Amino acid sequence: MKNFDYLEPSTVAEACALLKERAGDAKVFAGGSHLTILMKQGLYQPKTLVNIKKIPELKGIQFDSTEGFKIGALVTHRELETSALVREKLPVLCEAEREVANIRVRNMGTIGGNLASGEPLTDLSQIFIALDGRLEILGSNGHRTIAVEELFLDFYTTSLAEDEIIARVVLPPLLRPSGIEYIRFSSSSVVDKPCAGVAVRFTLDKEVVQTARVVLGCVGPTPVRARQAEASLTGKKISLELAAAAGKIASQGCSPTDDLRGSEHYKRAIIGTLVKRAALKAYERALGK
Amino acid sequence: MKKAISLRVNGLERSAEAEPRLTLLDLVREQFGLTGAKLGCDIQVCGACTVLLDGKPVSACSFLAVDADGCEVLTIEGLSDKDKLHPLQDAFMEFGALQCGYCTSGFILTAKALLDEHSHPSEQQIRDYLAGNFCRCGCYQEIMQAVKEVSGKA
Amino acid sequence: MELTEIGKSYRRLDYQTKVTGRAQYLADMNVPGMCHGKILRSPYAHARIRKIDASKALNVPGVVAVLTRDDILHDEGIEPYYGPVFKDQTIVAVEKVRHVGDPVAAVAALSVDAAEMALGLIEVDYEELPTVLDVHESLKPNAILVHDSVKLPSSGFADLAEIKPVEGTNICTHFKLNRGDIQKGFAEADHIFEDTFTLPATQHSFLETHACIASAEPGGRITVWATTQNPFVVRTQLANIFKVPVSKVRIIVPYLGGGYGGKVYPKVEPITVALAQKAGRPVRVVLSREEVFYTITKHAAAIRMKTGVKNDGTLIARECEIHLDTGAYAEIGPRVAKKSGYTAAGPYRIPNLKIDSYSVYTNKPPAGAFRGFGVSQSAWAVESQMDIIAAALKIDPLELRKKNGYNEGDKFVTEETLRAVGLKQCLDEVATAIGWGSGETGRDGDTEKKENIRRGKGVACMIKATITPSISSAVVKLNEDASLSIYAGTVEMGQGSETVLAQIAGKELGIPLGNIQVLGVDTDVVPYDLTTSSSRSTFHMGKAVQLAAQDLQRQLKQIVATEYHVPEEKISFADGKVRLPEAQIAYAEVMFKRFGMQGGTLIGEGQVKTSTKDEFGEKSTSAFWFLAAGAAEVEVDVDTGKFKLVKYATAVDVGKALNPLGCRQQLAGAAITGIGQAMFEEIAYDNGQLINPNLVDYVLPSLGDMPPVIEPICVEVPDRNGPFGAKGIGESSLIPVAPAIANAIYNAVGVRIKDLPIKAEKIYLALENRKS
Repeated sequence: MKNFDYLEPSTVAEACALLKERAGDAKVFAGGSHLTILMKQGLYQPKTLVNIKKIPELKGIQFDSTEGFKIGALVTHRELETSALVREKLPVLCEAEREVANIRVRNMGTIGGNLASGEPLTDLSQIFIALDGRLEILGSNGHRTIAVEELFLDFYTTSLAEDEIIARVVLPPLLRPSGIEYIRFSSSSVVDKPCAGVAVRFTLDKEVVQTARVVLGCVGPTPVRARQAEASLTGKKISLELAAAAGKIASQGCSPTDDLRGSEHYKRAIIGTLVKRAALKAYERALGK
Repeated sequence: MKKAISLRVNGLERSAEAEPRLTLLDLVREQFGLTGAKLGCDIQVCGACTVLLDGKPVSACSFLAVDADGCEVLTIEGLSDKDKLHPLQDAFMEFGALQCGYCTSGFILTAKALLDEHSHPSEQQIRDYLAGNFCRCGCYQEIMQAVKEVSGKA
Repeated sequence: MELTEIGKSYRRLDYQTKVTGRAQYLADMNVPGMCHGKILRSPYAHARIRKIDASKALNVPGVVAVLTRDDILHDEGIEPYYGPVFKDQTIVAVEKVRHVGDPVAAVAALSVDAAEMALGLIEVDYEELPTVLDVHESLKPNAILVHDSVKLPSSGFADLAEIKPVEGTNICTHFKLNRGDIQKGFAEADHIFEDTFTLPATQHSFLETHACIASAEPGGRITVWATTQNPFVVRTQLANIFKVPVSKVRIIVPYLGGGYGGKVYPKVEPITVALAQKAGRPVRVVLSREEVFYTITKHAAAIRMKTGVKNDGTLIARECEIHLDTGAYAEIGPRVAKKSGYTAAGPYRIPNLKIDSYSVYTNKPPAGAFRGFGVSQSAWAVESQMDIIAAALKIDPLELRKKNGYNEGDKFVTEETLRAVGLKQCLDEVATAIGWGSGETGRDGDTEKKENIRRGKGVACMIKATITPSISSAVVKLNEDASLSIYAGTVEMGQGSETVLAQIAGKELGIPLGNIQVLGVDTDVVPYDLTTSSSRSTFHMGKAVQLAAQDLQRQLKQIVATEYHVPEEKISFADGKVRLPEAQIAYAEVMFKRFGMQGGTLIGEGQVKTSTKDEFGEKSTSAFWFLAAGAAEVEVDVDTGKFKLVKYATAVDVGKALNPLGCRQQLAGAAITGIGQAMFEEIAYDNGQLINPNLVDYVLPSLGDMPPVIEPICVEVPDRNGPFGAKGIGESSLIPVAPAIANAIYNAVGVRIKDLPIKAEKIYLALENRKS
């Protein structure tokens, strides 16, 4: 890696000010999983890294029954994976985290870093979007809140400004009864990046789906909601046929790219199957089985 | 410009002058002469560079030395006390859990972190923990046996 | 201390140093005055070098030397062309570059940083040339030639003596094998099967990358620390390149962090020595992971196999065309062509054969030795087609193999007699282990019965040769306290050779293992050994060590006869002591008597030299034969094509398991690499550029992918010439894995995958095609 300045602010305000001052040549640095790869390959050579790991307000997992979960940007994958609180209230997050990369990356990589990288081959964003998650973002001009879905613009490109830092992820509590499932599919090794990842969440009124979220990941430049598939499931009781049909709709509506982990044709087929399976499981959970 | 850092390595206070871009791996290998941690892939997937940072396995190849300031680092050299080997080291030898030895430091330290966290891990827990360390000689089965043996005796 | 036994699983001698992190590998080593070398590589797959200007590089602070083709071509002391078979490689490119990653220049500097900065300042003016990027392109008439002409060595490997490239083409080697009458054979067949099988280039992916420290002293002495599996071959090559007698070249080999064939023959040694000469101080070069992908790969292959079979399943004719993509340089491609040609009939009696095996140049990184080379390509085709035949004729695949498989005393395709043939035993063992013919498998029952899941079992087997002729020599030194030192050129790269050699000597002489030291490999010190590859060391070096130990014993006998005035016929050896009619004498006592003080040395020597004829005067293509089988059980999800391995069993005829745990380790270990090759691994190219030269996108098998059980089984059919009957183990277990898995998948879901790796997508598409 080439030399860089390493600045270590202790508040968010300080960090944003530094980012603004050195705009164009500075990057936020947390776990470094994503950035160190780019820097070692010479793809990215920032003159300044702003280390945010010493900012206390970015840490910690909180939960209360009105606001739901507040996950600090500096929470690591491993912290999320092993949090008793998360396991109790949102076990799907723990299950998903268990399969992310490897234990070393999970120890260092942060939720904020994962989101800010705009990495398409990843898992958490699908779950966050399915939960109608929001991001609290701090910049030198103040703060704003966006839906998680609005963060992602393109491959490795987010809507964050140069001087902005994700402060936390907010996951509002689900109305009951609700059920959620996330399926990550690797077309090769269990430790390989995912070929596809689908999150489905249902909130029911009696046994009828009131709110449906079907979120497709890894099959395009950003995670996307399969809105047509969602519409096909809303107001219904979920049967195998309905779930399969929704899978087909989602499959036809997405735009996967050919890459090492699968052709476009194959990824479409996988999306169809994952949506079907996730829908059935999410419904089962919502019904309390 | 270099930053002065101090950290505990294998129980000893060490200090160094580190450029921000210096990795923890280069620090322990080049400056402290602890060559048990190896460079394998340089992108955090193979595990050959694993060290324990405050008890947690990390990829030293992609960890900035300056971030280790004030931390506790354990390398393989710190695991045994002169001739007294850690039970994992003994078990690895007993079960033939190594061939060329290049992945061994990483595996043993990762297994130690696992057992420190869960003294009686399930088969799946062991797999999940160790799945991120590659062994190209193919000692996975023997490694599982060695770790189970030690956890069984804990 | 207890006496040393063979057939006992001693804890390996290299273990303690490795588990404590004390073992020194090449990249851990420094020598005084050492600087760092970095290599500039071609970004083009094929280009002429119009001009190189390295002047700016020399001005970077810390740069000690810059090496370009001018140094190679204009130095009287350097012969630029080298290679294990054909001299088609140069230290750095001279007229043109032939693959992406081809070395063009090199820099030595006081820091890696300075070296990298200097590389960036070397200006190379390339004229891009059209490329041939696959064998199909390379073989077209009037195809672009990767090499306009190829230099042949003046002398080289005895088994490759008649091999020549085909002038005016990209054919590096064309190996032919004919037997019987192929037309008649097909005419007599009741059924003819013709299929094409393919497999991609893959990478050895040893965790330790290639590395080298070289020091060129005034006076011509060259000292090299190298990650090489065959230091003596490299020594010869360096002596030729740098025009010094072999005695002036010293190669020291520490423990290797894996080899698997990727560290044989010169790799980074020539360029490191050239840099060291120019720099006037020692230079260390350590390749990055990406650079390893540009240095050596396994041959991609396309195999067309046409087989004639009788109704009862007897194989009677085979015509086979094998195209191996040898990349830009021959490396050991000629031998790969030969080996795959010889094994295209598999371990089966087939009277009529027409085999043509080609190694073909392309503008891709060079392909060379890879664990089980030649055979892993041919076996993929042979063993897949066996099941195609079995399915068509409705014969059990296991029975079909046993029906046609070699028995003791059968003739190989070369008409030589096969001895010590444990093929059927291997097949029976894996069949039992996998529960062949029954629905029960002995698995741990954690998979629920689901309608989208199908289970299947498959089996495969193989025969392989070892490099013949070859040479191994060993020396054993008895110290004054009767401890023993062993001098052997076998490189310890994880296979446990150090321990097995000590066991052999210890058993032969009755010396406890704790009193035996196997010395490190240093060509100044140990006698000649051809190579640590081809799974040959237990047999050849083990035998050499055994002979050396026996030589020592003869000397002890003579000394005792003289010093104790006892006739030689009354002297014997047992339990580590010399036995006389009236007494037992410890070796240390004999030494003391002989030398008159606690001091002195006795040296025993042993040499094994195999030849193209065996002791019966028969042709000998291989000093002994490897037989092995594998069986897989898979579970396929028909909705996604994804499958998992439920169980894998591997049986290898090892002759005699000298260290049973060591054998089982090797069997399981090779099988795991086989699993990776079968399921995940492939080097991906885009117009000659490598897309995945890293360990994230080049997918290796992880612990998480393993089946609950891999069962390694050692079959023992002793070889008359091996030490205590032992043969070899390193490669065999890898070879049946891919076809066994493909056969299991066919058994499960009825689709035949003919292209490796067996990806979920391929299974899914095949199932989809079948529906429509």
